[in-house]
Amino acid sequence: MAALQGALAAEHAAVWVYGVAGAFMSSTLARRLDEAATAHQARRDATERMLIDAGVPPVPPEPGYLTPEPVTDAASALRLVITAETDAAAAWRSVVERSPADPDVRGAALEALTAAAVRATRWRQTAGSVPLTVPFPGTP
Amino acid sequence: MFQARPSRRQALAAGATTAALLLAGPAALAGCTASAPGSEGPDPLDAPARRAEADVVLAAAVAGAHSTLATAANALSADRAAHARALRAELHRVHPDQMPSSTAKSPPAVAPAVSSDPAAAQAALTEAMRAAQDEAAELATTLPGYRAALLASIAACCATHTAVLA
Repeated sequence: MAALQGALAAEHAAVWVYGVAGAFMSSTLARRLDEAATAHQARRDATERMLIDAGVPPVPPEPGYLTPEPVTDAASALRLVITAETDAAAAWRSVVERSPADPDVRGAALEALTAAAVRATRWRQTAGSVPLTVPFPGTP
Repeated sequence: MFQARPSRRQALAAGATTAALLLAGPAALAGCTASAPGSEGPDPLDAPARRAEADVVLAAAVAGAHSTLATAANALSADRAAHARALRAELHRVHPDQMPSSTAKSPPAVAPAVSSDPAAAQAALTEAMRAAQDEAAELATTLPGYRAALLASIAACCATHTAVLA
């Protein structure tokens, strides 16, 4: 359950990050930002339900988050969303590792890890950063 | 294990550091997955290891044949080579007395046929990544912790290459 709480915390953070980053990014990216934000909101809600169903109170979002660097423009906003996706991937990989071989929890965690990794790659494409991929998403 | 609240603050303050904290668990547990497969039949990691090695060869051939695909194919080849090394390392850890099956059983690697049509070569890479993702994803839901996490990362990585190739 600790791993699942960690994943929920990462989803709360990602929802917050997309809310902040959108303000600094070109309006041409609005649709992709919305899709990503919606995906994290859905994942957050589903994770809260999993915890509640297991009788565990879900962790609430933080009142605020510290960003690794000030977000002042599109480039720093892109780095922030890549960080949020990287953190989400790590949190969900941890759920895969620590949960029993239960297709529901493992399946959801694998899906969330994969989605975060793909979004991170797409944002790296947008940012023009290299490499676009990492061999083991969710690991340092 | 990590405390959700403080680590989330730290995650955004120093993503890499937090990732290292998160992964301290897996690394520490790597030696504990003694519940690896018994002696019956091939190890379930054998097939994904051989598939990763085959993808390395395929992607290298595509990169050599089509300069427009070289960047994507070379990146794919490098990531799949990292997958093959990690899977072989885990296989060797559990079966230290076995030779890697690629050298023990397989014939010498023959360069795979690559279509002269770039679109077809690209489709072949995409198909290889989809198959690799499906195989790894299935194993990730059934194998014990460390192995499941390794295959989950491999499945996710293959999905990112499918996205890059699209």
